[in-house]
Amino acid sequence: MRAIRAILARNLIKFFRDKMRFFFTLFMSGFLLFTFSFVMKSAVAGLAHPMNYLVSGIIIMTVFQTALNNSMSILEDISTGFMKEILVAPIARWQIAVGQVLSSAAVAVLQGVIVLVVGIFMGLDLDPVHFAMMVCLMLLVGITFSSLGLFLAALSKESTTFQIMISVVTMPLTFLSGAYIPTTVIPAVLRPIVYLNPLTYATSMFRYAALHMETMTTTELVKSGVAFDLHGFVVQPRHGVLITLAIGATFFGLCVNQFRKADFSRVTVFKRGQHR
Amino acid sequence: MKSSIEVENFTKAYGEFRAVDDISFSVEEGAIFAFLGPNGAGKSTTINTLCTIQHKTRGTLRINGNDVTTEQAKVRKDIGIVFQECTLDSKLTVRENLKLHCDFYAVPKSEMKDRIEFVLGLVDIEEWGKAPVSALSGGLKRRAEIARGLVHFPKVLFLDEPTTGLDPQTRANVWDYIKKLQKQKNITIFLTTHYLEEAEICDQVAIIDHGKIVAHDTPYNLKKRHTRTTTRIKTSDPDPLLRYCAEKSLPVARESEGISITSTDIGAVMDLVSIFKDSIQDLEINKGKLDDVFISLTGKEIRN
Repeated sequence: MRAIRAILARNLIKFFRDKMRFFFTLFMSGFLLFTFSFVMKSAVAGLAHPMNYLVSGIIIMTVFQTALNNSMSILEDISTGFMKEILVAPIARWQIAVGQVLSSAAVAVLQGVIVLVVGIFMGLDLDPVHFAMMVCLMLLVGITFSSLGLFLAALSKESTTFQIMISVVTMPLTFLSGAYIPTTVIPAVLRPIVYLNPLTYATSMFRYAALHMETMTTTELVKSGVAFDLHGFVVQPRHGVLITLAIGATFFGLCVNQFRKADFSRVTVFKRGQHR
Repeated sequence: MKSSIEVENFTKAYGEFRAVDDISFSVEEGAIFAFLGPNGAGKSTTINTLCTIQHKTRGTLRINGNDVTTEQAKVRKDIGIVFQECTLDSKLTVRENLKLHCDFYAVPKSEMKDRIEFVLGLVDIEEWGKAPVSALSGGLKRRAEIARGLVHFPKVLFLDEPTTGLDPQTRANVWDYIKKLQKQKNITIFLTTHYLEEAEICDQVAIIDHGKIVAHDTPYNLKKRHTRTTTRIKTSDPDPLLRYCAEKSLPVARESEGISITSTDIGAVMDLVSIFKDSIQDLEINKGKLDDVFISLTGKEIRN
């Protein structure tokens, strides 16, 4: 436990100490929020809570992308040599993975909460219960996609490869998840991808909470694009929680495995930071 | 005497290339053991494998009786490592780095503060405790790293080129400390070095070249076996000395200002000196150095 806490604390200290990064994190969230709320206003004009619809999409994207990208900090640790210090320490490999995943999830949630708070000032309709619900869901999404990111990072071991992997993963996942484009307008050909996309379920359950859809019937949920009718079996938003959890657990397991067998000592080390 | 480090038939191969080729050695508890070899000889590969972060291809490696492949957790607890490159977190301060290390190695919280001050004092960098590592010079980073490697009181300490890049003063301090530590805590020290004079003060030296150990002994024995002692005698009348040497079958050569005898038989040389002391104007004895051992075994100088 102490080692996990230490890794978490260290990563957060680093995040806050990096003033530029912190500033840009805030800036990006604000930027996304403003542009999307202006650009998309007409597209969501008919909805009951247009602001809630937009903000929930932006938040989930923010959390998703931040979580994925923050996993990259492990590549920095590998290249500066600090990863060796962690790997030779008597810490179970799963603890290292937990520490890394939690810290990038924490940063992602922080960023999501910032967008949420800014959203409230822009007319987001939210009570404390739903606020708490959304934070919990952010944490879940953050952990799941941090695990995915960490796995990809441990696999690629090099920042350029990782960047390419992230772009390849991010683009289709984003646009075929319903975060920006409602799933109901996506052509039938692409539907299978939508249903296989883990982000779809993360978005749907998040939107379900944001738009206060608890009182809706199943048919209405399917029509709003937060529940999915797969040949008679309806995937409810609450199933989405389980699906996201399962995906998170799978990638977390893969991560730990990668840490156990990876030979990080062969990763090329940058010249800076060496004793010369 | 108990062995702290045992290596049997260790091989590390990358495809066809063998970075380490079937080496075996052991290090006794409390000894200082030096691994000497040119770049790319397999020193770091051996250290990394003993430290559990690289995987062997074949062989058995044990630390305090624990296998480095199957009992990694136990091995990691017992060892401290100072890597060749800087592995400190440059965004954190020196103290934060040490504290993090204590958390990783489960150093009791009540002892943590004292231990951190103790090791900072040992390498003489107390005043840099609050500085971010990125602000430190190469030498200071090295010292901070050595402090970190010691703060959890390891039983076996690995030092990969510990004094490279340090000024002579700091190098001497680091060595004083290493020796003090070995005496006080009975720590086993495994180090690789480029500096032959550092290897001289170790208990055991293994010379590795092209992934194979070409010699393993005490520095004294290595020098005795692989080097020659040359005695130069300056004299204006070398002939009687040459005749005496021929009688005693001492290998001798005539030089412009006298003679030179190449022999480790110091007694015979001293006899000669006492007999001819009136005609000898000057005397110079060149003992073999570890450098010579190295050259004679690997055919090259260490620093290239």
